[in-house]
Amino acid sequence: MTEAVVDVRELRKTFQVTEREEGLAATLRSFVKRRRKDVNAVAGITFRIDPGEVVGFLGPNGAGKTTTLKMLAGLLHPSAGEARVLEFVPWRRENAYLKQMTLLMGNRSQLVWDIPAADSFRVLQEIYRVPDQQFRATLTELTELLELQDLVHKPVRNLSLGERMKVEFAAGLIHSPSVAFLDEPTIGLDVSMQVRIRRFVAEYNRRTGATILLTSHYMDDVVALCKRVIVIHRGRLLYDGPLADLAERMAPYKVIVVTLHNGAAATTDLAGYGNVVAADEGRVTLRVDRQVAPERTARLVNDLGDRLADISVEDPAMEEVIDRVFTSEQTTVTP
Amino acid sequence: MTRYLRLLRLFFSTDLQYELEYRTNLVLDIVQTVVIMATSIGAILVLFSYTDVLNGWNLAAMLVLLGCFYLVQGFGELVLAPSFEKFMEHVRLGTLDFALLKPVSAQFLVTLRQFRVTNLAQMALGGVVIAVGLGRLPRVGISEGLGFAVAVVCGFVLVYALLLALSTLAFWFVRVDNLMALYWAFLDAGRFPVDIYPGWLRVTLSSAVPIGVAVTVPAQVISGRLDFFGLAALVAGTLVAFVLASRFWHIGLRSYTGASA
Amino acid sequence: MIRTYRALLVAQLQSASQYRIQSVLWMLLEVVRPVIFLAAWVAVANAQGGRVGSYDVRDFAAYYISLTFVLQIVFSWNAYDFEFEVRQGRLSPKLLRPLHPIHYAIVENFVWKLTTFIPLVICLVIVALTFDVRFRTTPAHLLLFVPSVALGAALSFLSGWVIATTAFWTTRVHAVSTLWDRGVFIFAGMIAPLALLPGVLQTLSLVLPFGYMLGVPAEILRGGVDVQTALVLMGGQAIWVVVFYVAYQRVWRAGVRQYSAVGA
Repeated sequence: MTEAVVDVRELRKTFQVTEREEGLAATLRSFVKRRRKDVNAVAGITFRIDPGEVVGFLGPNGAGKTTTLKMLAGLLHPSAGEARVLEFVPWRRENAYLKQMTLLMGNRSQLVWDIPAADSFRVLQEIYRVPDQQFRATLTELTELLELQDLVHKPVRNLSLGERMKVEFAAGLIHSPSVAFLDEPTIGLDVSMQVRIRRFVAEYNRRTGATILLTSHYMDDVVALCKRVIVIHRGRLLYDGPLADLAERMAPYKVIVVTLHNGAAATTDLAGYGNVVAADEGRVTLRVDRQVAPERTARLVNDLGDRLADISVEDPAMEEVIDRVFTSEQTTVTP
Repeated sequence: MTRYLRLLRLFFSTDLQYELEYRTNLVLDIVQTVVIMATSIGAILVLFSYTDVLNGWNLAAMLVLLGCFYLVQGFGELVLAPSFEKFMEHVRLGTLDFALLKPVSAQFLVTLRQFRVTNLAQMALGGVVIAVGLGRLPRVGISEGLGFAVAVVCGFVLVYALLLALSTLAFWFVRVDNLMALYWAFLDAGRFPVDIYPGWLRVTLSSAVPIGVAVTVPAQVISGRLDFFGLAALVAGTLVAFVLASRFWHIGLRSYTGASA
Repeated sequence: MIRTYRALLVAQLQSASQYRIQSVLWMLLEVVRPVIFLAAWVAVANAQGGRVGSYDVRDFAAYYISLTFVLQIVFSWNAYDFEFEVRQGRLSPKLLRPLHPIHYAIVENFVWKLTTFIPLVICLVIVALTFDVRFRTTPAHLLLFVPSVALGAALSFLSGWVIATTAFWTTRVHAVSTLWDRGVFIFAGMIAPLALLPGVLQTLSLVLPFGYMLGVPAEILRGGVDVQTALVLMGGQAIWVVVFYVAYQRVWRAGVRQYSAVGA
């Protein structure tokens, strides 16, 4: 069995934050004395990741995903627990480790804004001591994959958000790391750019076998890239396993959307076929148990006859699944 | 070591390319430097319109001092202040993380990253003022010249140490752009000979925050007013300051990453 | 309007409480420069037998302490913040609100001075003790000081605002404000009490607005001029305040028009 790339055991991180009530009196008081509170950002999580996996960290804001990622990258010391990435203890930040990893943060830029990206790449090459030939080869490949040709010679400041993100990706991968931590990589990007970035990440993983951990609250990122998800909620691991199973566990139903012809809608009541979730202007959305979905669909087609204009059977939206996971207050979801 | 020198050269040339693109800004910056220095010289002339000697310094020696001041301040503004301002912004925005994850010394990357090459003008003009002042003083020998070079380098390192120590506070306080104000304040005090300040202030500027020393001593050396022991003390003090400041910075870094729990 | 100001005040106080240390640091910077020149003039006086003109060492101490006190009350930094806001596009939302952006600046200015007042007084007491100060102030002087320093503050704020408004036309406000600052440096009474500025410089200092911001109120506080002279000088202050008020109105209107034309 191959050694895990990422090995995490009972990792914990607790922060202290200051608290203050509103109002003038409280403000003046806080001038003199501050109140602090402990926050358990990460409350003991354990998991392993094998080489070449693309794993998604899911969780609502404040769940502890970014904190976990920062500990694995080496930016934070945990309050307790252990972690190893590529056999290194990340927060020792040994140069040998740093050369093999990369951290990309969606809403933060590591490039110098006023100079063209190409200049920043040169600096990075020097910092990571990438041999000239390898540098040129990697740069060519990244330029091709990310379509950077026109972008690298303009000052970063002048690029659009999506272009900047692409260039940031390139900068993060110049040294061909074997582990990549991506924190909200598609945040703020338009839909088509999100799709392109996802394609790039998948392709990069395919070509180089790099292990990728990404956090996101866009379900589409996770659905497109990750076969395996780790769900974190309030600092605890809720679920660790295949994405598909999560849906089945948490939302064991199908969504049937029935579109009725004009006029038929008012007179047709579909409550008998399943849980009516929405009904407007002739479009009725039903929820039905997975097992009975095929049978219900057949019955609907049969019974509605020519009142039926269209019918579709879909899996529940991932957002709904995740929403259920988070609001269910369970402490784990057994796969 | 050569790698770090190569990196420095890269950092320098990158900014140079950037500045050269904005010629008007470049020219304006230089004009501003000239105006500021001219008015500073004016201030000294006003003082010397009432006296020939100020605490044992004559006008020529004061000009040398002012020149040294701009030489040291210029160096600070050339690479240190811009880098430290950037560093504090990084801490505020959370982008410091990128610097910590590179396989080079984080201290190097953070403190020497950002050049503002227009400040070479300040350093050059400072040199000119020194030369003008020297022209009116008795002859200067090789040993004075060497001592001067050593003292100036010590001055640069002392400014580095001061900024490093100040910016370490950025790890604990959120908005610290005003820390630069403290730096400027202490540096400003160095535009006059340290010995004009009364007791406790002189001691502070000379020992705890050795900026006054950073400027006064080179001036003393080149005008033949300092002996070997004074210079040796300066070098020793500089090394101590550098080591202490670096230690302090690393403590701050450990606190930032939660290591000192 | 009062309610607006109260709301702004509370918000600004809350914001200021986050940056208490930083405010004190800025204040320290302010104190350092006068102290430096005080020490320099004391050295000059000592070399000349204890006095320069009508100022002995203790007078210099009184002058520079007064100057620092006035500086604290009068200090404004509009140009820097404003230019920053224009560049960052943060001005636009303010322009869309039914409140002139200048009010934010006024409140911010006021709150900062409020929060740094006590630390400043402590610093000044230390300086006073170090230099063995002597004030020549009479009650009449104190009475005149209040309106004088208010005029100085208004002048400083308005002139700063006019300079800041140039941000609408140029990205190089920094150059303009540097020139202005150097004018303040030479002519406002920083490098020397106005009465000690040699020949041409002294004449200029009475003609230019800079002296009326700092030097005049400082001398009044110290008791360095008699009541009649003080009144004349305050007249000069009033004139300059009017000049800059009119200038501010004009420049602001033109600037906002320019800004909207270009696309805020």
